[in-house]
Parts: sequence; C-alpha cells; structure tokens
Amino acid sequence: MEHFDVVVIGAGPGGYPAAIRAAQLGASVAIVEREHVGGTCLNFGCIPTKALIASADAFARIRDAKSYGVSVSRAAVDYAAMIDRKDKVVTQLRNGVKQLLTANGVKQFTGTAAFKDRNTIAIDGETLIGAKKVIIATGSTSAKPDFLPEHERIVESRSFLSLDWLPASMIVLGGGVVGCEIASMAATLGVKVVIAELLADILTPLDSDLRAEVRGHMERTLGVRVLTGRPLANISADGDGVRGAFGDEALRADLLLNAIDRRPVTDGLSLDNAGLKANERGFIDTDEYCRTKAATIFAVGDVTGKTQLAHFATAQGMTAAEHAVGQKPRRHPTLVPNVIFTSPEVATVGLSEAGAAAENRVVKMGKFRFSGLGKALAAGETTGFVKWIADAASDQLLGAAAVGPHATELIAAAATAIRAELTARELGETIHAHPTFCEAWMEAAHALHGECIHAAPRRR
Amino acid sequence: MVTPIVMPKFGQMTEESTIVEWLKKEGEKVAKGETLFAVETDKSVMEVESFKDGTLLKIVVGVGISVPVQSVVGYLGEIGEAIPETPVPERRAPVGAAPVPTAAALSPRGGTPDTIVAAPPAPAVFRVSPRAEALARECVVDPHPIQGSGPEGRVVERDVKAYLDEKDYWSLRVSPAAKALAAKEGLDLLAVRAASGSKRIEVADIERAVAEKPAPMTKMRQVIAQRLTQSVVTAPQFYVTVEADMTNALAHRTRLDGGGARYTITDFIAQASILALKEFPTVNSATDGRNIRWSSRVHLGIVVNLDQGLVVPVVRDADQMTMAELSESSKTLIERARAGGLAPDEMSGSTFTISNMGMLDVENFTAIINPGESAILAVSSTIMKPVVRGDEIVARPMLKMTLSSDHRLIDGAAAARFINSIKAKLEDNGLWNTLTSS
Repeated sequence: MEHFDVVVIGAGPGGYPAAIRAAQLGASVAIVEREHVGGTCLNFGCIPTKALIASADAFARIRDAKSYGVSVSRAAVDYAAMIDRKDKVVTQLRNGVKQLLTANGVKQFTGTAAFKDRNTIAIDGETLIGAKKVIIATGSTSAKPDFLPEHERIVESRSFLSLDWLPASMIVLGGGVVGCEIASMAATLGVKVVIAELLADILTPLDSDLRAEVRGHMERTLGVRVLTGRPLANISADGDGVRGAFGDEALRADLLLNAIDRRPVTDGLSLDNAGLKANERGFIDTDEYCRTKAATIFAVGDVTGKTQLAHFATAQGMTAAEHAVGQKPRRHPTLVPNVIFTSPEVATVGLSEAGAAAENRVVKMGKFRFSGLGKALAAGETTGFVKWIADAASDQLLGAAAVGPHATELIAAAATAIRAELTARELGETIHAHPTFCEAWMEAAHALHGECIHAAPRRR
Repeated sequence: MVTPIVMPKFGQMTEESTIVEWLKKEGEKVAKGETLFAVETDKSVMEVESFKDGTLLKIVVGVGISVPVQSVVGYLGEIGEAIPETPVPERRAPVGAAPVPTAAALSPRGGTPDTIVAAPPAPAVFRVSPRAEALARECVVDPHPIQGSGPEGRVVERDVKAYLDEKDYWSLRVSPAAKALAAKEGLDLLAVRAASGSKRIEVADIERAVAEKPAPMTKMRQVIAQRLTQSVVTAPQFYVTVEADMTNALAHRTRLDGGGARYTITDFIAQASILALKEFPTVNSATDGRNIRWSSRVHLGIVVNLDQGLVVPVVRDADQMTMAELSESSKTLIERARAGGLAPDEMSGSTFTISNMGMLDVENFTAIINPGESAILAVSSTIMKPVVRGDEIVARPMLKMTLSSDHRLIDGAAAARFINSIKAKLEDNGLWNTLTSS
C-alpha cells in the first residue's frame, strides 16, 4: 500500500489547489477524482457557462453594432459551434490543471474514494492508499426534486450545457444564480424564457435595488418573463414539450431547466468508517480552520455547506492544506466576493444593506450610476450602478455592490479596499484613472459624504 | 415662580447621591406626583417625584454626577421665567469610596494591556502648544504623558516628535479605518496591540481595546467593594462548619405544604438562628475594637442576589415574630428587593445575616461578615449523602452551614456552640411542631 502525507478527495476548485499547496510545502500528496479534474466549476459550471455567455455577448454586440456606427449584414447564432468552442475551453483548462498537478508531483488517481478507516482510502474498492491527513473536497451536485418527472426535456444545468441545440422556448425553474445566468444567456440568443420562482423575487439574497436593476433589464431588454411567488405545479413532459401550471396560467415550453437546488456529495465516501457523520442536511460540519470532528480529516468547499462558491472553496483548500502539513493554523478568510453573470452582471462583497439592517448597524450608503460616467457613455454601457456601505461613525468601508458593465471585474477593487479597512474618505481621495469604469467607486465614495462632483446634490 | 429641585436625603447615612436617569427633558411639562429623575444612593436606586405642577426649566446636574444631598439639581417653573445663576457642581468622588479612576488615567502605556498602570503624577496644569496637540491628535496619541520642554513644562511639537520616536510609533502599522475608530473612541494607539500573529492594528483590535477600556463600577458595586473590604480589613474572621440532617425539617415542611402553609428552607434556618441568637447574646453584638454593643432585638439580614449585585433586606425585630410572621415578612422584603423597591432604612441596621446559596448547588462556602455585625451564616445546598446511623450507612439530606465570626468578640468554642445550637434546632422535630402549629 502506497502512503501519502496528504490525500485529497475531489479535484475541483477546493481540492486541486489544496493538493498543489500541500505539495509546494513539501508533502507527498495524492488526489482522487471520480470524473474530471477541475470539478463542477471547470467542467459543468462556472467556466462553460462563461464561455457560452461570451458567445452570447459577442452575438449581441454584433447584432447591435449599428448603434456604434458599424453596419453588419446579418448576425446568426450557430449554437453547435458555440458548444464546440466551450468544450475546447474546458478541455484546455482541464489539461492545464492536470499538468499543474503533475508538475507539482501530485499523484493522481481516478475512481471513487471511500474511507476504510481514518487513515486508509480505498479507490473503487480495489486500490488502497494510506494517508496521514485527508482533505475532503467532494463538492455538490444538482438535486432533482421528487415532483419533477424523468424526461429528456427536463434537464439540470449540467446536461443543459452539453446540449448542442437551443430550444425555441424554455422554462427556468428557480430564479437563483444558475437559473438567472442561463436565462440571460439563452434569452440573449433568442430563446423565449420564462423564470418560475417560488419566492417573492429572483436572486433574493441580493439587496432589493440590485435585484430590481437585474430583473428590470432582463424583463425589458431581454424579454424574459419572470413569474414569482408561487410554485410551478402539475409539471409534465412528452415528445411535444413541457407543461406546468403557475397559478391559473398554463405554461408550455420546449425545455425545462431545473435550477432549484444543489446537494452535497458524500455518498460512497463511507464517512462512518472514519468516525465522521454528515449533518442532517448532508453536509460535513467544519470549523473556521476547515477541521472536521476527526483530528486528521479536513473538509473544504461545497460539501461543508458554507458559501458555495469556487473561490471560497479555493481559500478553504489553502487553509486546510497548510494546516494538514503542520503549518500554524490560520482561519480561512471570510470576506468573499460574490459574482453573478446575468445580463447585467451583479457583484457584491462584504456587508449588504439587508445585512446591516439585520445587525442593527448604523451605516451610510453612497451610490453612483454608470449613466453619469464618461467612460460608460463612451462605451455605450450605461446600465446599473455601484454602491458603498460604510460605518456611519468610523467611515469604514464595510460592503460594496456593483450591477452593470464589468461588475464582476470591478468588485475586486472593492474587496481589496474593504480587506485593507479603508475609509470612504480615503477611497474617495485615491486617484482613479479617467476615463474608466473604476471611477464609479471613487464617485460613490464621494456620494457617501454628499460630495459627489458628477451628480447633482441631493435636495436637502 | 421658579422653584429649585433639590437632591433629597434618603435615609440617615446618605451624604451624596447620583442621578442615573432624568425621566423628563428640559422644557417638558411635569405634573405633581410624576417621576422627575432616578437616583442611585449607596444602597439602591430611588425615583424622585415632582412636588408641584410646572415645566422642567433646566437640568443643572446631569446623569452620572455625584452631588451632596440638598444640592440644587434643576429648576421647575413656567416657560419664560428666568433661572437664577448656579455654579454647576463638579464631578466628585463618592464619599468614603476610593476615587474612581478615569479611563484616561488607566490607559495602559508601555505596560502590558492587562496590567492597569496609573498615569505618572502630572503637573497641576497640563500645558500643550496647539501644534503639539494637533500632531498628537493626528497620530491618535494621548499627549498627557509627554514631558514638556517648553516654558512652564509646556509640551511643544518637538516633545511630541521625540516621544513618538522613543515609543517606536512609526513602526506601528494601522489600518485607516482602525485609526479613524481609535480617534473617535479617544483611544491612544500606543496602548493598542495588534492581535497575536499580526503586526498591523486593525478594526478588530480597536474594538477589543474599546471593550476592555476600564469603566467605573456601578454605585452598588462600589458600595459592595467598600463595605466588604472594610469588613475583611478590620475584623479577624474565622470559620466553623457543621452539617445538619434535614430529614425531619424537610418532612415537616412537606406536611405543612399539604396544609397550605408554605415555608422555605431559609425560614427554618432563620427561625433556628433567631432562637440561637437569644441564647448567645455575644453573637448578636458588634464591636469597634474598644466597645461592645449588644442588641436586645434580632434584626435579621437576608442576602438577596440581584443581577447587578447584592442587597441585604433586614427583618426588624425578627425575634418578636411568630414563624408565620417571620416567613411572611421576609418573603415580602425579598420580593421587594428583587423588584428594586427597598427603602434605604429597610437595608440597614441588621444584627446578624444569613446568606443562603442552597439553590446554587454548592457543597460549602464562607461568607464575609456584614460591617456592624459579628457573624454571618453561610448556608449551602441540601445534598443526599451516605451517613452513619447506628451501625448502618443510610442516605440522608445533609445541609452544610459555615459561620464566619469576628474573633475580636467571639471565640472558637462560642462559635462552635452557637452553630451547633442552630443544627440541633434544625434537627428537632418537636420544636417545629410547636412553632408552626396554628
């Protein structure tokens, strides 16, 4: 039996960085993956959707080229070619990760890992490997609720991304991040999309001003129908299409995308052999050092049931790896930016308005709309705004949000400022290059003190 | 007509009081009998009512300032009437208590944060140049400890600079928000330490320092501190412990319960103590070290634990009461104590005190004698224990009691006889039958 200092189970964005970090620190490391390295994010989630969204954006730009003074005879969508491009991107990245693992001396095993005991892992029930420390990074997968019938016209995001054709019409069940991203992309490419959401609004974790901006744009510009506040009932599917009832209204479409929920992957791990147990929701409980209840076993990423984001899994993976090889333990970071690739994009970091209200924190807000920004007008991208949330007493920047062009890129600057504990005054005093989208942060910081140059003063 | 509002005198011993809350604002209408403000005396918090209708024209003494009784604290009258000039009283330390140090004097400088170092004796007047003060403010550093080299010891800019260099101020790394917060909270950055493992002072470090900033204790705690210290310093105390078998008393209590008469364990112990005090007059006496003052009556103090501290309501003339009266009287007093409604005279003059921690699951403890008395009885929990009866080991509910005695008055043998007398009474079934038969 081969022995390793660290064995990582799962090669997604939590697992493979953990393996590389542990190897960098001199440990002998093995990683076990039952499917493709890169996990859901690289193969079936973040990356493929972003590849398709890039294609959709390219189409939209060319279609609307006239507004920039460019005439194009006719733009057409070749979805099969878009899927082909997406697959190439995924393959390239996947190979890149494999090479990185190899270059760092991480031994890769393919198969399903299960605990024999705390320090022994069986791969597909055959190969046994010994592990001083184990990092569980098995992630999560789409969950199909019982009320959804089995049918080829009812798909979850993973199988949707492997279709090489686009339906003419589509019902998106669930107005969360996955549902809204795919709805935006499909609608941009001309699909008639209806979102059916049980809650009172889509993207409910966001502050209401952000939600209103996204929903308004999706409804008015992309023509997405957003139905909220009721369950989609009587769902059936046949060769003709998918049907459902939303209140009194009968809905029909060519395809139904199930984007409701994800569940943690712990099946087949035989956690009990390691003296561990998933909690009642199926997640593995961990502390802020990524420790499980077993001294030699760590867990990171979606399987821990904390923030389900790839970059958070990576941050946890680093913490776990450093801890596993005996470095001084440090808490995993908690300031996690959240990015949503809808049209328009949304991104948030730190405290939200709703969060401040829940904590009874006295905060000040500063908002600046892109329509007041020279660069946004020049680029023809004026939807949305950025906002700061700062402590009313100390002026400390506590949270930020952006909705609109490049929001998912812009948020990095805000995250750095918050992490560095800057005050709104200092952010406002920082010179931002003109003309750029980033200027919006500076303007919003001024707005927080009512001292905005490029916005009319608020009536007193 | 403008009428001054004066700080009333609550009880014989009160020299000073502090307003803890004004319930009326300046300019607000006040009706006769409405509460104007709440006062913390050295015993409790009292409400003060208006003696006439009118408008609260001015508040002279704000919240948190201790003033002598009969001081003018505000003015009542009609809107538009002129108020006589009065000097605003200065903050004074409570009489008899150690002066309460201010936070500034306590901010640890140079020492470790958990040791409290008093500031070095400062010159009578602190002189600082505007430039020096501005630099200290900009750096969020307290200029008071800086030795001034200017005329009359005035701190000038070069002194601040030298001080910052000497304290290695420039190697401090502070996040901007942390600095803003420290300035707002009036902290000295030199007194704040970064969390271990970090060289940078962040907001969390400032929040910790704010939370750890010394603050004055409540008046109630100051009184407790002062009285208990006085007791320990002046009275040489010693302790005697006995264990009483509560089988009979508990069985009797259960029988009485069935008949509708409800007694607490404290009632039994109080009654037994009162009877014992009549047998041992020395224990119902007090001394100042020269004289002995015997009290012909038993005024029984009962310690009541509140969230913010302790109070000791006193059952006066407890030896003149039947057990039913004693029980009723102590119950009423304890309830009022919990509600914060005791008058100062109901909390003074006790000759002997009982502290019962039975409900707190303790094996044994000792109590500190209340000043002005010579002994206190500490009552612990009743616990089922194996004891020897005849040649058998049997389970019995056992109660430990410890008597703290002032050795200046009470010798060991006297204390032993006294506490054994209480024990004997607790175990005497016939006694309880007599005392509680109606």
